[in-house]
Amino acid sequence: MTLFKQIAILLSIFLFTILTTVLTLNFKSANDSVQDRLYEDAKNTATSLSLSLGSANGDVSMMSTMINANFDSGNYHYISLVDVDDVLIFDRKGESDLSGIPSWFLYFVSIEAPVASANVSAGWSQVGFLNVQSDETYAYMQLYTILKSLSISFGLIALVSLIVLNLILVAILKPLKEVQKQAEAVMRNEFIIQSSIPYTKEFKDVVLGMNNMVSKVKAMFDKGNEELKRQKELEYIDKTTKLRNRKYFIDKLPEYLKIDAVSHGGINIMIAFNGVVEANEEIGHRDVDNLFVEISNIFSTYAKEYENSMVARMNGTEFSILLPDCTPINALDMAEEISRKTQKLIESLKLNKDSVYLALGLYEYSYKENIGQLLSHSDNSLAQAKFKDAKIHLQKSDNVVEVMGKEAWRKIINTAIDNNSFNFVSWTAVDAKTKQINHNVLSLTLNIDKDTRYAYGQFMPAANQAGLSNKIYKNILDMMFQTPDKNLKGTTCSIRLPFDYLEIGSTYEYMSKLFELFAKNLCFKLIIEMPDKLVRQNNDKIKRYKTLFEKHGIEMGIFEFIGESIDYTYLQNLRPVYIKGEADYFLSQSEQALSAFRLITDTVGISLIATGVMKMDTLKDLQEKDIHIIQGRVTEMIDIQS
Amino acid sequence: MNISKAFLFLSLLFVCLPLDAKPYVEKDLLKKIGIKYKRFAKKRFFFLQQTLDSVKEEDDLPKLDAVNEFYNEVRYSSDIKVYRKKDYWATPWEFLGKDKGDCEDYVISKYFALIYLGVDSKKLFFTYVRSSKFKAAHMVLTYFETPRSEPLILDNNNRRIFPASRRKDLTPIYNFNGESLYKAAKTGTGTGKKVKNKKAHKKWDQLKLNMKRKKI
Repeated sequence: MTLFKQIAILLSIFLFTILTTVLTLNFKSANDSVQDRLYEDAKNTATSLSLSLGSANGDVSMMSTMINANFDSGNYHYISLVDVDDVLIFDRKGESDLSGIPSWFLYFVSIEAPVASANVSAGWSQVGFLNVQSDETYAYMQLYTILKSLSISFGLIALVSLIVLNLILVAILKPLKEVQKQAEAVMRNEFIIQSSIPYTKEFKDVVLGMNNMVSKVKAMFDKGNEELKRQKELEYIDKTTKLRNRKYFIDKLPEYLKIDAVSHGGINIMIAFNGVVEANEEIGHRDVDNLFVEISNIFSTYAKEYENSMVARMNGTEFSILLPDCTPINALDMAEEISRKTQKLIESLKLNKDSVYLALGLYEYSYKENIGQLLSHSDNSLAQAKFKDAKIHLQKSDNVVEVMGKEAWRKIINTAIDNNSFNFVSWTAVDAKTKQINHNVLSLTLNIDKDTRYAYGQFMPAANQAGLSNKIYKNILDMMFQTPDKNLKGTTCSIRLPFDYLEIGSTYEYMSKLFELFAKNLCFKLIIEMPDKLVRQNNDKIKRYKTLFEKHGIEMGIFEFIGESIDYTYLQNLRPVYIKGEADYFLSQSEQALSAFRLITDTVGISLIATGVMKMDTLKDLQEKDIHIIQGRVTEMIDIQS
Repeated sequence: MNISKAFLFLSLLFVCLPLDAKPYVEKDLLKKIGIKYKRFAKKRFFFLQQTLDSVKEEDDLPKLDAVNEFYNEVRYSSDIKVYRKKDYWATPWEFLGKDKGDCEDYVISKYFALIYLGVDSKKLFFTYVRSSKFKAAHMVLTYFETPRSEPLILDNNNRRIFPASRRKDLTPIYNFNGESLYKAAKTGTGTGKKVKNKKAHKKWDQLKLNMKRKKI
């Protein structure tokens, strides 16, 4: 229960008690006052009537007449005259008419009209006693009216008081609301500095304390961010040419060599600068470095023609240009252009073109290859290029015989989308330290019939080529939200959505509608994984996705992380629940870089998950770097503790 | 009387008192009266106690005589002069302490002294009368041997007690007896049901309250 509610309830009880007490006391006072009035009336009558009765000189008929006259003219319940021996001489008694008074009121309020007595004498002789009791009907009526008036007054006072109380409490506790927001933000690893400092000392101290704490955490994050940026520069950038280096190239390659890669292949040009020793002797190191910079600029200019292309300096004399979706013909044209332009540069420096030249080995790669295959084929091509006059060689990839043609795949996938033939399969991400499942990773299978089933890796490349992958993701989101798998109840599951699908403008709108209608049906906690390439843009689109997910209790995860960003503030803004990167990526990080990265992720509470962990040795290496949550074949070797 | 004589007098007084008898004015109250009204007032209370003790074992009539005679020694003075009020019923302690009062104060003091002596309260009435001699409203204490007998009149204007028939100068107007009014009121509903009632007569009720508070 909130402090506001507690104080409000306490003050309401206090107010209610006070008002009830005052109401009761007021009513009791009114009751006493009415009863006093009844007595005073009766006493006045008794005294005046007894004086009158004295003049009757003991004549009973005269006294009876006097009593009758008095009784009929006033509101009396009872008048009696008794003699000195207490023997009744005459009395009159009336019936009280209490029909106008509710029975509950008569039950709770008891009025006993007091009896007033007076001595009656005739001359010096005593006649007896006169007893007079007023009729309490009038008193009941009066008290009932008083109670109604009091109840209405106190009801209004209570209402006004509660409204005023509420307003005062809201005003007094307003700073506390801000403190609460700040505290909740801290729990969500957000860094909010509260600028309006409350006037109340206790709140002021809390706000200042939290501001101080948040500032320190933010400073830690910034420090980590700066350190990581510096490390990245050292680690991924070639100092001379400012191109990416071999490490970056290797870390980045998995993005191009995967089943659901945006591009299914292209050309990798491996370039070697021959005659660097001669060039150094001729023009000196500085001019050779300048030559490298100019040649790098040529590479970059041509590479830009291809989306997602990558240029890297692999070592002192070798470069690599990865051109996704580039055809061999276009690549050869580009290679010739590069060769011609660099030749001109070399000649302009009056260097011997026979000893100082570029050799370009072109290799037509496929997404199905691994990094080793791509690099060795590229090296092979470069070796052959060196023996050619033009110093250019193209090596095509081995043609893989497709089991099924593209059109056949297109047909199968379209049918599967229409018939909703996709099924979820899951594997686990495991915390090797606690030996517990961190979450289930959901993937897809395409089920044609009872015996024919295609794995994600089989149908997805074909779907990508056929441009059907977005339809598939739409289909599986429908399936996940509209008919959630009850077997997953109470678990945490992740689903990976690719860059292309999330980039489409209509995806956000579609998700909004889907979540609005069905997110409450989800029986498991969902984490939607988004590629780092998209998330690090930290633009409005990503923020909208984040807001949408938060609104529906869905977490955000990041996959394919290789720390390419020049600023990690987006992690602070988006606060993903985890970051997934290839095990090799984490293992190849320097101690300083990983430490700076951990500082950032720990500050905002982000877990690190290593994917593709295939060997126990790799797990051991990862654990030495304090990374314990893993995905990959090794998870099957860990005894999960329930 | 010097201090040693007063001490001797006090000693004799207490020796004369039966050990188990409760004094009309209790010791603590007497001490307070002594402080407020000084030594002579205290002396008056000693004499009162002596008077009362002297008739303690007698019949009602000697008691009436003794009490009437003792209190009639007090000087008459109007309430305005003594209490700066138009009408005030003083407690017996105020009356004897100040050694002055009006007719109601005589009646009150005589009444309570007689009650102390064991006279039945049912026999004693406060009677409003008109005095033809002074042509003014007056109050006397009346004593009824039985409810139907002729009352005796204890009047501060007349030192002797006479039957009512011999007091032609007085015309009775209204009689009341506070204690009997309480009793009458408590059973006077005609239903047999007892009613809570602590009131009988405004002045009488106030006097009883003052007596309870030991107002001096």
